[in-house]
Amino acid sequence: MSDTDSKQIIADGIWNSNAIFVQMLGMCPTLAVSTSAENGVGMGLATAFVLLGSNVVVSLIRNYIPSDVRIPAYIIVIAAFVTIVDLSMNAYMHDLHKVLGIFIPLIVVNCVILGRAEAFASKNSVSAAALDGFFMGVGFTLALLVLGGLREILGAGTFFGLPVMGSGFQPSLVFVLPPGAFIALGFILVGVRWINQKRGSGSPV
Amino acid sequence: MPDFLRMGIVLMVVGVVATAILSGTESVTRAPIAEAKRQETLRMLKTVLPEGYDNAPVDDTVLFSDKRLHRKEKPVTFYRGRKGGAPLGVAFVVTAPDGYSGNIDIMMSVTPAGVINLVKVVAHLETPGLGDKIVKPEWLNAFRGKDRDNAKWRVKKDGGEFDQFSGATISPRAVVEAVKRGLDFFVEKKDVMFQPAAAEKKS
Repeated sequence: MSDTDSKQIIADGIWNSNAIFVQMLGMCPTLAVSTSAENGVGMGLATAFVLLGSNVVVSLIRNYIPSDVRIPAYIIVIAAFVTIVDLSMNAYMHDLHKVLGIFIPLIVVNCVILGRAEAFASKNSVSAAALDGFFMGVGFTLALLVLGGLREILGAGTFFGLPVMGSGFQPSLVFVLPPGAFIALGFILVGVRWINQKRGSGSPV
Repeated sequence: MPDFLRMGIVLMVVGVVATAILSGTESVTRAPIAEAKRQETLRMLKTVLPEGYDNAPVDDTVLFSDKRLHRKEKPVTFYRGRKGGAPLGVAFVVTAPDGYSGNIDIMMSVTPAGVINLVKVVAHLETPGLGDKIVKPEWLNAFRGKDRDNAKWRVKKDGGEFDQFSGATISPRAVVEAVKRGLDFFVEKKDVMFQPAAAEKKS
């Protein structure tokens, strides 16, 4: 793996093909848990860990799995990592686990993870797959942080639970409610497209 | 080797390895998970029960099941606080089945005289910003010191004395009525409530 390749993988994961802002994958957990910055980061890190683990394992076993049964095999690998995350979070981060609740098991069906396993890890070396998994995870986490942070600031006037807006600020409840997730994501997407246009790279899709 | 056999074997190997790793993880995390849950209950009991108990209420429990506590008669654990062996208060969770969206689990503690010490909402799915004001201590404090006879157990809109919120009457109404039902149950069972656990624990 050459240096330019890894730079490309990093740039792709964080920005160029950001799982949420560009590929628009994994929308269900994204919209559902991003009510605050803390929830967003918690979900993002859990997903990133699963992504890294499943990418590495899928890449390791890619030459032994007949292509007809690769999807069930990948799903087992992903499900195993999700269960590990679920149990460990329940044991060592009990409060966060209570908040994220049912969304942790749902990481199994997050398209980002199967998508990367299928599109990248199953065709690339272990080191490239690990890099890809890690930075896709970082990109996912950053996207959830931005979305969760925006919703928390507008909807509750706080950031990571700390008040950041002046006392005259009237929180706009809708941003914490489900419709606010769509509205906030829409405006963030506008921003992402705008930046990409400014940079002259055109529409990334 | 025929293809179908190869596929089967590969999947089996993947499945067996995954199962082995998971059962390992489960046995490592089982104790910490149980401990975390226990700590959570302990923290909760500490805030809810009257101060000054000297036993371990998390271990001094008794189960009751009744329609008033939980509509499906799921057994409810009663945690008993004692001081020098004398009953100080009991804490238990009543479930209001009629919240605006789903069940509301309410932990309440009652003194042996049948007076409410504290009420706390432990789980709910009410609308953020409207119905979810039921978790606010300012509102829940209205229950403090109430018993069956010194309060009008309804929200103001229904002619009682507990505030509803503008735009949300259903959630506070559900809480008030569930707490009342819990209190009724407690008063009815007051005599057996603090008996040593041995007799009931068999079930």
